[in-house]
Parts: sequence; C-alpha cells; structure tokens
Amino acid sequence: MNELLTTSVGSFPKPEYLSRARTKASKGDLSKEDLRALEERATKEWIRFQEEIGMDVLVDGEQYRGDMATYFAENIEGTEISGLVRSYGNRYYKKPIIVDELRLRGPISVDWFKFAQAKTERPVKGMITGPYTMMDWSFDEHYGSRADACLAFAKLLHQEAVALEAAGAKVVQVDEPALSTRFDELPLLVKAVEVVTKGLEAKTVLHTCYGNYNEIFEYFNKLPVDQLDLEMSNSGLDLLDRFKREPLEKEIAFGVVDVHSHVIEPEALIRERIEKALTIFAPSKLIIDPDCGLKTRSVEEAQGKLRNMVEAARAARQAHGWT
Amino acid sequence: MVRTTVVGTYPRIGDRPEEQTLRRGIARLDKGEIAEADLRALEQEVVQTVLREQNDAGIDLVTDGQISWYDSQSRFAGKLASIEINGLVRYFDTNTYYRQPVVRGPVAWTEPVLLDEWKFAQSHSRAPVKAVLTGPVTLASLALDKHYRTKEALALDLATALADEVGALVRAGASHVQIDEPILTRHPEDVSLVVEALERIRSRKGKASLTLFTYFGSVAGIYTDLLDGPADVLGLDLVQGAATWSALARHGSKKPLVFGLIDARNTKEEDPAAIAKQLLSLKGSVDLNASYLSPSNGLDFLPRDRARRKLRILRDAAKKAGVGG
Repeated sequence: MNELLTTSVGSFPKPEYLSRARTKASKGDLSKEDLRALEERATKEWIRFQEEIGMDVLVDGEQYRGDMATYFAENIEGTEISGLVRSYGNRYYKKPIIVDELRLRGPISVDWFKFAQAKTERPVKGMITGPYTMMDWSFDEHYGSRADACLAFAKLLHQEAVALEAAGAKVVQVDEPALSTRFDELPLLVKAVEVVTKGLEAKTVLHTCYGNYNEIFEYFNKLPVDQLDLEMSNSGLDLLDRFKREPLEKEIAFGVVDVHSHVIEPEALIRERIEKALTIFAPSKLIIDPDCGLKTRSVEEAQGKLRNMVEAARAARQAHGWT
Repeated sequence: MVRTTVVGTYPRIGDRPEEQTLRRGIARLDKGEIAEADLRALEQEVVQTVLREQNDAGIDLVTDGQISWYDSQSRFAGKLASIEINGLVRYFDTNTYYRQPVVRGPVAWTEPVLLDEWKFAQSHSRAPVKAVLTGPVTLASLALDKHYRTKEALALDLATALADEVGALVRAGASHVQIDEPILTRHPEDVSLVVEALERIRSRKGKASLTLFTYFGSVAGIYTDLLDGPADVLGLDLVQGAATWSALARHGSKKPLVFGLIDARNTKEEDPAAIAKQLLSLKGSVDLNASYLSPSNGLDFLPRDRARRKLRILRDAAKKAGVGG
C-alpha cells in the first residue's frame, strides 16, 4: 500500500516533565545527562504513540530542540547565540549570530535520528533546518552577503544530509519556513536547497508554511526535492484550484489539521479535506499530515489531532478500496 | 553638532532576570494571576528603564520604546471604531508577526490612544519624547479591508483618525511627531496618497515638528517627491535602503533629515568614524546641524544588550561628526 500515507511535519509538544526539566537545566539545576535521559524517554513515548495510531512515516518529535535554527547553530562552529529577540507578542527566541566562517563540528541531528530509528521498524524522517531559513534567522557579522551566508550553510547541511542518509534515513526533510520572506530571493533558496540535496538517494522533502503561496507558486516545481510539504488547512485550501490549472510534478504532503488551533478537528472534517485533495492529486502522490509542527499545542491536543488524521486517512483508503 | 534620535521600538526585555519583568507579567496576566492595572505598572517601569538607557547614552530625541505595543499595526488601529484584530501575519521581510486589523465599517477615532503613555514618558525623560505613530497608508495596506472599496478611502479615513490623535498629543505638549510609512519602500507608487494623507495630519500638528520615516528598503525613486511633501523632517533607512544614498547625495535636501545609518537589524557593529565621515560628505547639501543620526529602524529586532551598544555607536558617530559645534 502506498496510497494516502500518513506522516508528521516534525515537532511534537514536550510533556510536562520535560518542560520542567529544561527549565531546571537552563538554571544549572539539572545535569545534561539527566536531561538527556528525559528527552530520550519523551522521544520513545512519541515513537510508540505514532506506531500505536498507525502512522506510516515517523518523526522523532524534536524533544531535544528549543528553536529549530538555534539548535542547528549551536552545533555549527562560527556561530554564537544572541540574547533574547522578540518574535511577536510575548514570544522571544535566541537568535544565532554568524561571527566567523561556518564549519561543521560533526553531525548535528544524526545521533537523535539513530536513537529514534532504532526504536521502530517504520521509517523515521531525518530533519534539517534549511540553509535559507538558517541564514534569514541569523544575524550576520561575517559574510556581509545573504547569498554567501546561505550557501555556506547549504554546504554544511549537505554534509548533514549525507550523514543522515548513511545512518539509514530513507527520507530527508529540509525545513524552510522562511521561504516566503523575500520573493526576490527564491532563486537563491532553490540554489541552496540544491546544494543540500545533491546526490541523495533518500526521498527528499521540503516543508514550508505560512506564506503567500500564490506568490511562490511558480517555484514549486523548481524546488529540487521529491516531495513538497505544505500547510493547506490554515489557508482554507485556497490553492487547490491553482494546482488544478498548474499541476505539481512532485509528491505533496498535504496539511489537513491546523496546528495553531486548539480545536481537535473531527475525523469527518479531515476526511472531507482529504477527499478534496484527492480531486487534484493521485493517491500515491498524496501524503497526509498536519499543517506544521505541533509543538505549540498541548500533548492531548496534538495526539487528538494526529489520531483523527490517521483514522480519516484509513477510512478514505478503505472507501476507495486501497487497503 | 548633528543630533541623535531613535526610530521607535526598543527591546522590551533583556537577558538578566531583572530585565524580564514584563515577559513574566504578561504570562501571569494570561493566567489570570495579575490584573491589567498591574501589567500597566510593569510596562511603566520598563518605559522608565528604556528612557534611562537612552538618556544615559545621550540621545537627543527619544521615544518610549513603544513598550505597550503588541505590534506596529494593531496597537493604534485596534482602538478605532469598526476595527477588529485578527490572526498573525508576517511583518514585511522580518521574522516577526503582527495581528491583522480587520476593517468592518467606517473607521473613526473616539478617544486618545497613546496620549497617557506619551505624557508618562515625557514626565520621566530629560530629553524630549517623540510621539511615533504608524502611518495611514501602511496601516491601510496591511489591514484586511471588508468595508471600503479602495485602499485610498481607507487610508484617508485613517489619516483623519491619526490627525485627531496628533491633535491631542500636540495639545498636551508633544513637540515632535513621527509618522512611519515603511510601505513606501515596497509600494513607491503610493507616494501621492502618503502626501495627501500627511496633509490631513499636518493640519492638526500645530507648532510641532512632523517627521515622515520610511524603513525596510530604499525610496530612491520617490526621494524628491518626499522632499516636496508636507513633512518638516524626512527619516530614511540608509542600511537596508542604502540605494537611497545616491539620490540623497545628488539632490541634497532643504529639509532636515534623519539619517538611519546604524543597522538596527544586525548585531554587527559599525565604526563610528566611518559613519561620521559618510555624514560629513553631505556638508553643504544638507543642514546637518538641524538633522539627526539614527538607527535604520526600531531597535526591537536586536537583543537589549546589542541595542545598548548601537546607541553608544550612534552617540560616538555623532560626536565624531561634530558639525557646526
């Protein structure tokens, strides 16, 4: 069976015990080893949950990450981490600063990939924060050119992608939430992602979210990946008509639950969204997932959404006779 | 010598626990542990700190750091009649987001929005406090309009509302008012609408000095239109909008300018001597003694410690320029 496979975008919420432990660790009241043990426990729990509900392609849930750009930068030489910067409202993050030539200290996420993959027979995705997003979300005190900084990240992240593949990753996902920040830089993004994915045997995925998709639409087929992972339910499925007119030549991972809403979408609503998607995309090229990472939801909300999503996909497969 | 100012926002929190009272306060308000009035008191403490940091750095014309602003769009618009505030939308090409105003009917000003905050700030500052407002065309462009048929109609009604606010601020003693129109760096064709809207605001400004500030890009193509417009002072982002410099060097300016030469979106530190030299190259074509040196936009994109360092660079560059003694 390869119709309507189900997956997740990347992050899951951290259980209460892990959030408390991270706070303690940040104050120096908990050792790295003790924190790691709890991160492993949470990762195992999420792997088990995904298996239990019948997810096809798994993620490690990013229980060990704070911010997605900061986590990668912390493991790259030539960067420092700044003080707190506001994202919006009362949300702040620590932004990487490029202070010297970027160099990889060693694999960044491979260890966690191996840990998660060892816990399941099902494929676990390797997850990379993309070069354009790393550049756009960092201060640059060294390169002085957005293109140079972006391509420097791309070279390192290619090494990371190769290491993930060597460790057994069958799917490598490049996260580029900053993709739609500056339309005039889309050619740079394409070039940088090309550097990252070049020569990989693994299936490659590019995830992006919350942009004006109409503006970037013409780039979808140019992105050098096998699968595009798009947030679709938050934007009201507006794009479907355009996909009808201008077909996507890749697989699509189609977001069917809104990660910014507390509401757990009922199975029937998700099923409706899947059926709408099926009017445009072939079932073997249509992957069902949430709009984005679920880390901002509670554990209960995230699990409720994922459970209904997998059930809805299963029901759709049955109804169409694809089981 | 050339004077110094800031553009508007200032980081609300720093990295030390004692610099994070506002962050904790908002979280506690959300949980219902403190009241709105308690949060206002915390905001006022931060405003005093922000003013002290600017005063200590010797900034000549300061702001309250826009500490109470959730974002640049919803703070003022959300208090007008017929506007609701909706979900998050990316703010220009930044990694920040604003809550989008939704216009459901004719917009109207009903009472002062920022007056008490300006009064509080001015009473705690040695330097004059500039009142800063997001301009009507930027507000109209970033809002979701469900009522007016055209952006022009919405922008002009917003201009009338802003003029009412400016009138109240000026009556209370504000001597400097700044209107921000970053949208001009993306839509230079809106310049005539900005000029028309600004005329309405100008009519209520009394003796106060009115600055028009554009940031997040170049306005080279409309530079002379802006010089001919109704603002008394023109503020320019000369970092991300470095391309404006050639127009500026070619045409000079009869109006005083605000030179946004210190990068407020990157931590990299400028050499004050190089900034001073760049500024002095305009001697003779711009009245530097009536002009200001500033960051390229609000300092909220930087961590607090880096914002402080940028203020010192600003002061040092102005001292080195030292024009006219």
